[in-house]
Amino acid sequence: MAPKLPTSWAQLPPTFLLPDAFLPIITKRGVKYGWTTAPARGKPARFNQKTAGLPVLEQSPAAALARKELTLPLRTGALGIKKGMTALYDPDTGVRTPCTVVQFDRVQVVSQKTREKNGYFAVQIGSGWKQPQNVGRPLMGHFAGHGVSPKKFVTEFRVKNESGLLKAGVTIGPEWFLEGQFVDARSDCKGKGWAGGMKKWGFKGQPASHGNSKNHRTMGSSGASQGGGSRVLPGKKMPGRMGGNQVTIQNVKVLKVDAEKGLLVLNGCIAGPNGCVVKIQDAIKKPWPTIPAAMEKVKEALAANA
Amino acid sequence: MATPTHTLRPLTCWKSILRHTRHQKVVTRSLTTYHQNVPYSKFQLPPPALKKIKVYPAPPFPAANTKEPLKALCADQIALLDPTGVRTSLFSKTNPEAAKVGDILLVRLKGGDPFAGVCINIRRRGVDTGILLRNQLTRVGVEMWYKIYSPNVEGIEVVQRSAKRARRARLTYMRKPKHDVGSVQNLVLAYQRSRSGLRGSAQKEEGLKGGKKKSVRGKKH
Repeated sequence: MAPKLPTSWAQLPPTFLLPDAFLPIITKRGVKYGWTTAPARGKPARFNQKTAGLPVLEQSPAAALARKELTLPLRTGALGIKKGMTALYDPDTGVRTPCTVVQFDRVQVVSQKTREKNGYFAVQIGSGWKQPQNVGRPLMGHFAGHGVSPKKFVTEFRVKNESGLLKAGVTIGPEWFLEGQFVDARSDCKGKGWAGGMKKWGFKGQPASHGNSKNHRTMGSSGASQGGGSRVLPGKKMPGRMGGNQVTIQNVKVLKVDAEKGLLVLNGCIAGPNGCVVKIQDAIKKPWPTIPAAMEKVKEALAANA
Repeated sequence: MATPTHTLRPLTCWKSILRHTRHQKVVTRSLTTYHQNVPYSKFQLPPPALKKIKVYPAPPFPAANTKEPLKALCADQIALLDPTGVRTSLFSKTNPEAAKVGDILLVRLKGGDPFAGVCINIRRRGVDTGILLRNQLTRVGVEMWYKIYSPNVEGIEVVQRSAKRARRARLTYMRKPKHDVGSVQNLVLAYQRSRSGLRGSAQKEEGLKGGKKKSVRGKKH
């Protein structure tokens, strides 16, 4: 049959006379970008007023910041390279103190994170130096935008408020920390590979003899049978990858600060092999240190007022 | 009388029209016979002109002079704890007169009795260098580690050198009954007697009281 065109489009009846099935069924009103832009049909928050006596919501970003209020340090930390361990002797008392030597390598502030823009306050710190050709364009632009040379290691340290933020390009040396103060040192510990239950969790293993056969270092039972639900409970300690995770050593005392050599000598041991990156920040479980520079500012202000 | 046409009926013709045009396209394409290969390079677009990113130079790095901070720290400590360099030379690898494993050493302590024994291990770690001495007290084998730079160690003396150079770095085989030298008490006593005898003949002016330790220490350091 030959195609047949309608004789005239004017023959179609006006739209208001057409049946509903012929009209487009897509909703257009109040919909944009796939979600509704219509005004909210109610204000559910009005039921959660302070006068209502209901518990305050704890899922908001503001509530999260309030929770961290006491544990966020006032000032930024720094990145160091673990150089090795040795000991310090007190010539008077003869006390030997084992220590870890951490060296600072061109530690600089790269950028800042603010509450308005990122939802929290933090200082981005870079350390070392990287060949510019080995840095991708996005990161290169990030460094150039803040006027900082390409850095080998970049990390961020959260701070409590904007008073803890530092300008990009500010250099942080070991003198940032005071002798005798306490810091938290976090670094990636040595990876042990796939390890059995005895090594990873300290399981006791089985006896060597008394009829034991081919089960000396196995983990044994992984739980009760029918009474326990006939299943392995979540979080059961099992063999698997061990180490290689970040470990925080809290309340490490700063024994010595050598700004000239860029050295920070910390008490005791720090996780990780020699040459690993150590993130050092004021200890959260000790009172915040009193910084002499801040004291000088206060003194200057007092002198100016007097 | 014809039935009234459905309102959608005129649109049915579009399907056949489109099919027809599609067929025509296929026909025209198959009629094309001439094709010449053009090198791909001619079609390659020039790379987009990327803005050059400024590279800032690295800040000055004075700590770069301290390549081995651990050694530097150890040297500082040793200079403080052993200003004369006696201990360093006593266990230096370059010193032919140095104490070696297999020698019988006597460690005098600031607080406590001196300890003597065969040196079966020297653990060289800069300022943290230690020696392992083995002796028998009341027929029980005793081993003690001493840090040679510890301020608690007043002096280290060589009581007797081994007749032959040990061919091991660590003489752990001396723990076995076959190789155990046993108590070195007699050797140490004889050594101390000879020392005091020497001192008595050489320095008669020095008093007995407190002179023993002082003089020995003075000779060592």
